[in-house]
Amino acid sequence: MTVGTAGTEPVRPMVIPSVASAMTPSRGAVFLAATRAEWTKLRTVRTTYWVLGLAIHATVGVGPLFTAILVNRWDQRSPEDIATFDPLLYAFAGLDLAQLAVGVLGVLVMTSEYSSGQIGVSLVAVPQRRLLLLAKLTMFAVLLTVVSLVSCLAAFLIGQAVLSPVDADLTLADEGALRAVLGSAGRLVLVGLIAVGLGALLRRTAGAITVLVAALTILPGLALLLPAPWSDDITKYLPNSAAAAMSALVEFPNMLSPLGGLVVLLIYAMAVVAGALVVFGRRDA
Amino acid sequence: MIECRHLTKRYGNTLAVDALTFTVAGGQVTGFLGPNGSGKSTTMRMMVGLDTPTSGDVTIDGRRYQDLRFPLHQVGALLDAKAVDPGRSARNHLRWLAQSNTIPRRRVDEVLDMVGLSDVADRRVRAFSLGMGQRLGIAAALLGDPAVLLFDEPVNGLDPEGILWVRRLFRSLAAEGRSILVSSHLMSEMALTADHLVVIGRGRLLAMGSVADFIERTAGHHVRVISPDAIALADLLRHKGAQVRAEGGDELRVTGLESRDIGIITAAAEMTLYELSTQRASLEEAFMEMTQDHEQFRGAAIPGEPLPTAGVAA
Repeated sequence: MTVGTAGTEPVRPMVIPSVASAMTPSRGAVFLAATRAEWTKLRTVRTTYWVLGLAIHATVGVGPLFTAILVNRWDQRSPEDIATFDPLLYAFAGLDLAQLAVGVLGVLVMTSEYSSGQIGVSLVAVPQRRLLLLAKLTMFAVLLTVVSLVSCLAAFLIGQAVLSPVDADLTLADEGALRAVLGSAGRLVLVGLIAVGLGALLRRTAGAITVLVAALTILPGLALLLPAPWSDDITKYLPNSAAAAMSALVEFPNMLSPLGGLVVLLIYAMAVVAGALVVFGRRDA
Repeated sequence: MIECRHLTKRYGNTLAVDALTFTVAGGQVTGFLGPNGSGKSTTMRMMVGLDTPTSGDVTIDGRRYQDLRFPLHQVGALLDAKAVDPGRSARNHLRWLAQSNTIPRRRVDEVLDMVGLSDVADRRVRAFSLGMGQRLGIAAALLGDPAVLLFDEPVNGLDPEGILWVRRLFRSLAAEGRSILVSSHLMSEMALTADHLVVIGRGRLLAMGSVADFIERTAGHHVRVISPDAIALADLLRHKGAQVRAEGGDELRVTGLESRDIGIITAAAEMTLYELSTQRASLEEAFMEMTQDHEQFRGAAIPGEPLPTAGVAA
């Protein structure tokens, strides 16, 4: 340690940290501001409420409705049917539809900017392109996480309440139940992020929705037409099968485990998002 | 200050912007002039980082736009008035834009007031006229109180009152020391708004300088002479060093002599004059003459008809 004498220290230029940092904001500050702006964008158009409303109704309404129909005819079921009954299969019956709705909203998060030309305004405001896309993804992921968790939990609780008269209901404490609720919410979030990525890659609403719908609903049908061993091997790795595995209570034959489903869907999401980040960062707006 | 250095943009085989070098200085309005399709918008898009130059570069106050964080505090741009989500209200559009650059919320109401949209701020943009859209775009550009402002064809769709307002706004913004770049395909509009001109055609720089210089250099004039003695008078004027062109009938088009000199010469020769008048080419004509060879989409010329002039000459 050097010993300095008071008064011999050179006069240093004064640095005012707040002013200095205000002049060159950090990347984190840019990202936070962009995320806030993206949230405002999403909540100030009506489409958001329509499509998100559809997703919530599909999740919370369709499952319990089909459960109720089933309970109504409960005494007509064979003992064998009742023994192998999966109480969640019906409670989460609306998730395939909710998945499409969430996907459409995710696509629109990007493509509505391109169809109106607003993407130019957004990029002039936030020229750090990858940060802008990350801000969109983050904002959408947070929103979907909250909405999906609440509606999947509601679908579970309502579905099981409907099943209670026939004594076939589960509680969250039952093995796999909580995991299935979390998995169901998680698959909606991941499909939403894949959709944002597709929107960024394709820029057109119709094109991106077509690809999304084809991947989720048409590929499985095509895979079925393949010869036997291939058909099963391929089918279980398709995005919709991986997503379905995430909401399952038990591991079905010819399906991935819930964790396996999560890993596969996560890989799809990361691949699409990574591609979108690269392309969006490079091309002319 | 905006500096373009050999700025070039190529789309496939088309050279949209061809080695443009010019500067937009502070404290004045720079008019960016060129026919439709001459590369003005592409140049402005490269200035704010929307398109990447094929070669060359452009900087704002010495920095690439992509390197600016919260750039709306330094640069405001109106590139396309229709580029707003139609389902969102004007106020909400400005609100997200303000948030993205940490601009205080009260500034949104200030700029709405400045452009006269306060009363319709909560209406969805879908219902806006083109003129209202332009005002919203101008409000968005002013949001961060920037020192550099870019406007691409800002008077499109504005009513005469709006045009007057925009002109005054640009002048007052420049008087505050800001750099203003305004593009237009109308020379007459620029003559009223700009101090400095950058003229391009087919992506190439055609002229650059003050508006006054431009008018003097390009807007030449001639004298129209109508006389029953046109043929003899033409010979006489040529003899005195003028260039004379017979325009048919009794009419002559004379350059190189002022009307005063022609009057004296005619009187001395005891010839009759029906008309003697100086014709100043409008700025619009001068501009069209300059860009004629460069225009990409030129209509077929109609023989005997003068070129149509767009807009009202200055």
